[in-house]
Amino acid sequence: MQIYAGIDAGSRTIKIVLMDAEGRVAASSLRDQGVEVVALAEELLDGLLGRAGLERSDLGRVVATGYARNAITSADTTITEITCHAAGVLRQTPQARTIVEIGGQDSKVIHLDDSGHVRDFAMNDRCAAGTGRFLEVVADKLEVPLNALGELAGGSTSPSAISSMCVVFAETEIIGLLAAGEQRANIVAGVQHAITSRVAAMIGPNARGPIIFTGGVAMVPGMDRALADSLGAEIQIADEPQMTGAMGAAILAAETP
Amino acid sequence: MKSVLYTCPFVPAEWIAACGLDPMRMTPERAGEGMPAGVCPFAAAFIHAASTTNACAIIVTTVCDQMSRSAEIIEARCETPVFLMNVPATWRTEEAAKLYRDELARLGRFLEDLGGAKPTPEQLIETMLHYDSLRAKRRADDETARPKGLPLILAGGPLRSTDIEIFDLIEQAGGTVVLDATAGGEMTLPAPFDRARLASDPAGELADAYFARIPHAMRRPDNQLHEYLNRELTARGARGVIYRRYQWCDTWHGEAGRLKDSLPAPVLDLVAGDDESDRAHVLTRIQAFVEMLK
Amino acid sequence: MNDTPAQITLDQWDERYDQLRSAGLVEPSYGGPLRRHLADGDTRLAHLRYDNSPAALRLWNFLLTEEDRLRDARAAGAKIVGAMKDLGTVAVMACSMDNVVAFYPDGAWWIPCMMELGAGLLNIADSLGFDESFCPVRAMLGAFVTGEHFPRPDLLTCSVGATCDDFSAIAQRIEAMGEKIVWWEAPHRRRPDRGETPVELPGGFVAPQCQVDFVRGELQRVADALADLTGAKLDSHMLAAGIEAANRVRAVLRELRQLAYTAEPCPMGALEMLIAEMLAIHFCSDRTESIAVLDGLLDEVKRRVDAGLGVARPGAARIFWINPVADLRVMNLLEECGGRICGTEYLFPHAIDKIPTDIEPMEALARMALADPMIGPSAGRAARICDDISKFGAQAAVISRISGASHCAMEGTVIADRIRKNLGVPVLEIETPPLSDSMRPTLKTRLEALVEIVKRQKG
Repeated sequence: MQIYAGIDAGSRTIKIVLMDAEGRVAASSLRDQGVEVVALAEELLDGLLGRAGLERSDLGRVVATGYARNAITSADTTITEITCHAAGVLRQTPQARTIVEIGGQDSKVIHLDDSGHVRDFAMNDRCAAGTGRFLEVVADKLEVPLNALGELAGGSTSPSAISSMCVVFAETEIIGLLAAGEQRANIVAGVQHAITSRVAAMIGPNARGPIIFTGGVAMVPGMDRALADSLGAEIQIADEPQMTGAMGAAILAAETP
Repeated sequence: MKSVLYTCPFVPAEWIAACGLDPMRMTPERAGEGMPAGVCPFAAAFIHAASTTNACAIIVTTVCDQMSRSAEIIEARCETPVFLMNVPATWRTEEAAKLYRDELARLGRFLEDLGGAKPTPEQLIETMLHYDSLRAKRRADDETARPKGLPLILAGGPLRSTDIEIFDLIEQAGGTVVLDATAGGEMTLPAPFDRARLASDPAGELADAYFARIPHAMRRPDNQLHEYLNRELTARGARGVIYRRYQWCDTWHGEAGRLKDSLPAPVLDLVAGDDESDRAHVLTRIQAFVEMLK
Repeated sequence: MNDTPAQITLDQWDERYDQLRSAGLVEPSYGGPLRRHLADGDTRLAHLRYDNSPAALRLWNFLLTEEDRLRDARAAGAKIVGAMKDLGTVAVMACSMDNVVAFYPDGAWWIPCMMELGAGLLNIADSLGFDESFCPVRAMLGAFVTGEHFPRPDLLTCSVGATCDDFSAIAQRIEAMGEKIVWWEAPHRRRPDRGETPVELPGGFVAPQCQVDFVRGELQRVADALADLTGAKLDSHMLAAGIEAANRVRAVLRELRQLAYTAEPCPMGALEMLIAEMLAIHFCSDRTESIAVLDGLLDEVKRRVDAGLGVARPGAARIFWINPVADLRVMNLLEECGGRICGTEYLFPHAIDKIPTDIEPMEALARMALADPMIGPSAGRAARICDDISKFGAQAAVISRISGASHCAMEGTVIADRIRKNLGVPVLEIETPPLSDSMRPTLKTRLEALVEIVKRQKG
């Protein structure tokens, strides 16, 4: 059986999807990123093939994407995460026209045309205040589990204004708010708004729907609501949002002649 | 020969040369220590380079707020004489054109004080023709070069020497720059001289070739820049525009959104900071852009 | 009726207003309790502390009703001129003409603060590509998009050149949205070269006559645009009358500043003085009423000085404040930390200086425009600030950096260095966003530390 692999070597996690020639997912896996990116990816790939009862010789084309894509030695080619996320989301939702991907270290907005081709994109990897990293800092400061932030934010009566572009200074602001007796719910809601308003700015004034929310941060409860509020539009969370990049890479591996 | 340092495209090299000095157009490398937060990396690099130059003088222009202010910072840091040249933002009025011509005359007096000599009309014409032929050759070379990859325009603010790598990154990603429309590239070369006018009014022709015809984001209104990029996109068969600007450069930043709206081809907006680790991020964006266009 | 000066909250103003009304308070047409502006969306008002005088109430009401005045003027058939960036010149010209009202759209930069981001203007600017790396004046872009904060001007002018890049880029975007702009050039002010005729400008600056002539030519283009708009020519007599009216406002302001910034104890709070100074620019929507408002405030300050009354604690640290602050609440905070304002430079001293009246009016305005501290070397601005620090007897300076403003990064350092070197006065640089609540503890620490330094030096 010919199998195609998509490897998304992100800055925080490695994700792999194996796909058969008919486009069916044969297996998938995710693991936290480490120092030895190559070894980790190879180990994950071998483990996944083994669990699926496959050999390396079954592998057809392998496409690597993500921040560390060029380090993946077993890849036949590399494709950027923009193209891969678009392919991954389109497989699930062919009518998607805007994709928002918020990961741990960066965020992306991808605009698709009526044929599903990438028409334009924008990325933020400079300002941590527009990424999942900000949520982690806040969760740590407030001593709240990451997945409990959404529930906490739901109790907000007046989201705090977080102004800093830099997550280091934003952290100072959060300490200041805590010192001033601000409710934790308002702080969390303020941080969620700070992230999603930056993403909304990247999208611009005329986002076309359907808007699909993907990336690891899409799994954090409450972020979908915050994003919808900032955009003033409905959004959908992708299935397995952390895997869409790897999924797209596998799709492109299978489609490439 | 004494060298005179400058970086702005609105400073005519032939005017300095005709005055008997050596025009040294500088591409700064990187900023030195002690620049406050919020300073554009290009201006910071220029200040550092100018403050340590061996040139006999430095010409700074008013093309942007931070470069204007860099003049007095350089003066405070070194002994080298600094000439701050007013380049008007408005460009469609006779008054603005006259101000630019008057500034060239004032620059001439500054150069004379440095040991230069006021050129005769014949000397000025000869120098202008020499530079004009050099630029004509450069344009011809650019036109005959066949793109190996996806044809792209690189546009935006000026580049530091450390930023020239972007041309390689574009090649790596499968693209080829068919027009350097950065502030310092082909876009900001002055127009070819009108030979008829050159004979009768060389100084006027020099001023007009630079002031009236170089597109730039600082111009008000800015339609010259948009018309130029629109025209060249078609003429060069470019499939997209990579628009590169510095963090804290408001002049070029301000044009990014509008260019995206108005140009008939996709625009990649690249923000460059002062961080070497940007390379991987920049490459990812360019690769994604090329993938998108393909 | 208790006339003891105090700084009170909005809630306390409700009670105070009722008392004043009962005591026979006479108000102008735009009068009323401060709280009514809260209902208009100016929610920041709930977090400020105000002077308790009727004069201060009138000042606030006047400031917060500019939009109403402009819309009324439009309804009455007046032409509306939006003057951008020059801060003090074009408005004088526009208001010299019959049936013309001018305003500065630049003032939109305080809307995000006053409405606590509720108007969404910064989000609109973000979406158009003008993010936080631009100065808060990007709110003006949002205001032009929504059309909700001022009427669409019949004529829009903008000074460019040696003005700040943020503003120029934002104005360019506004023009690209369909608003025609008359651009006029403000050249970088320089000292005369050998052989050039020097001209003394207001504020102690000097420039060559050729630069004054150039600016005069640019202003004439603006005058021509005004003539096209109104069908009437702006002649010297009209302009002289307009200058006289502007000078009347400026004279009251100078007297008010002199008294308020030098008297001990401090007779008027930092916030009201900031708003009063803003009338140097925003007087143009109603010149007569502006003068009445400022006269009222000056009378109150005189009364307090004569009676030895004030709002700040005696012995408060005497602070010179540089650049307007994006969050008005910070002015309250300075006083809470033990400081008081003794001198300011809010980027428009040329709108407070007297416009020369012994020369031809357009020449006078050209000199005034060229005296804008923004368009010359930072060292020139710093020198004037040093002079004013000495004049007002300030003990420390706060440079309030405007986040994202292209001029602040380099200029702040030059000004701070000059003050420290020439005067040996401590300088604090801060930067505040339109809503600074989350930064309040760090701002408080810094301002308190500055006050402590001053008090130790005094001791």
